[in-house]
Amino acid sequence: MPRFRLPCALALTLLAVALAPVAASATTIYAASSLSKVVPTIAPGNRTNFAGSDTLAFQIEQGAPADVFLSAAPLYAQRLYAKGLCDTPNVFALNTLTFVTPASNPAGITRVQQLDKPGGYRLAVGGKNVPLGIYTRTLLGKLGLGRALQKNTVSQYQKATDVVSTVALGSAAAGFIYTTDWYANTSRLRAISVPASAQPLIRYEACVVRRSGADTAGAKTVISRLLSLSGRQALANAHFGLPPKS
Amino acid sequence: MTHRAGIFRVLLVVTAIATFAFLLAPIAALLLQVPMRDLPGLLRETAVTSALLVSLKTNVIANVIILAVGTPAAYLLALGRFRGRPALLTLLELPLVLPPAVAGIALLTAFGAFGLFGSALTNAGIFLPFTQAAVVIAVTFVAGPYYVRAAVSAFAALDRNQLDAARDLGASEGTVFRRIALPLAADGLRAGWALAFARGIGEFGATLLFAGSVARVTETLPLAVYAQLDVNLDSAVAVGILLLAISGGVLLVAKLPPLWSPTGSSTPVGGW
Repeated sequence: MPRFRLPCALALTLLAVALAPVAASATTIYAASSLSKVVPTIAPGNRTNFAGSDTLAFQIEQGAPADVFLSAAPLYAQRLYAKGLCDTPNVFALNTLTFVTPASNPAGITRVQQLDKPGGYRLAVGGKNVPLGIYTRTLLGKLGLGRALQKNTVSQYQKATDVVSTVALGSAAAGFIYTTDWYANTSRLRAISVPASAQPLIRYEACVVRRSGADTAGAKTVISRLLSLSGRQALANAHFGLPPKS
Repeated sequence: MTHRAGIFRVLLVVTAIATFAFLLAPIAALLLQVPMRDLPGLLRETAVTSALLVSLKTNVIANVIILAVGTPAAYLLALGRFRGRPALLTLLELPLVLPPAVAGIALLTAFGAFGLFGSALTNAGIFLPFTQAAVVIAVTFVAGPYYVRAAVSAFAALDRNQLDAARDLGASEGTVFRRIALPLAADGLRAGWALAFARGIGEFGATLLFAGSVARVTETLPLAVYAQLDVNLDSAVAVGILLLAISGGVLLVAKLPPLWSPTGSSTPVGGW
């Protein structure tokens, strides 16, 4: 009997070694997908996970190994804060929405008010529970186009970048995306102006995730970089708006 | 000797238990997440019922296409004698290795508005994205190779002497296919179809990118799960359990004793 204990013990040891989490050397940043270009330039060398803010918040609530949460809306950061899952959130960037068509604009859309036409266009928008979708509905409401999402054929996405590709590849005749995403895709998209008065207030919030084993120091470094002069410069270069200096 | 055999047996049992525990624990956890008596209420939400209808309709059509076109094609690939057969078989497996999102982009670059065949389709008055036809195409593209691959193996394993004997007795090629090859390969075909169906009903990435997520049109059950996640975790879990039940039901049906196979022999999904 003792003879097979050794191979078994060896096998179990190997399994344990193989499954052991890799030693943390970098900070893990969970960031809204609209930040996917700018975050690596501000805080290089860290692990990043880009997705819809709602998905990220859900993953963190389920115990995901995040150290920093960068949310495209206060709602999700505040939800984690209320649950004791992160420290006080800080506003670090602002954004606006842009109404876009494919560069060739096959449907010939020139004004956002055309969405009021019944039976109208194929639209790509954010889902009703993700920040982009909530902002889009606010914008449409302010424009008196509250029924636009019923009058057109609307495809809803959980990720802002999926809305961008759907319009860029011509599946949708138009869509509402973050202005920063528009600047990153100007060759494939055409922007159609929207009255500034209808713009929703879009605030990005950062917070240090609270969980046992979190890289709190690394997380604080990431956030102070976001709020620093160079961080603000990088955000401005990526066409984000900036909150007043704190 | 006996010691070595004992060690080996222990290894087999340990790996078997590990396999079952690892694969079934998440499924058990999913089932335990929502009290069973809450399920009917959660599933009655209109978003869920309409997604169920979209999923069933598009998957039935896709599976009919996969079976009707894939079976004869696999028969030719398995038994035909022509140059480049191994290369063709390998090409057929390419869609299997595409990550779903890449499959969606591939479909868009072929059939999307600005795709390879986009202007031809537009001229013909066909616009695929945001339509159920696009869901059917996505499911067929992603799930089809699983069936065709299995069907080729099933037909290739047939005893050619039996087919030749039927031909010698005067059976036409069509009769040989229908009366001899199909029944003999039935177990393998059902096994392959069950896998393809399970892959297709859970299809997410290619559908989202190619067909979009339009409520009551292209929003399938997997897309609904994703959209429900942040609204209501319970309802997302309920939809997940529904998907599990549908796929499990299909796998069970595929395992039932063959009714039209003369052999009753078994294959991986054919039963033990």
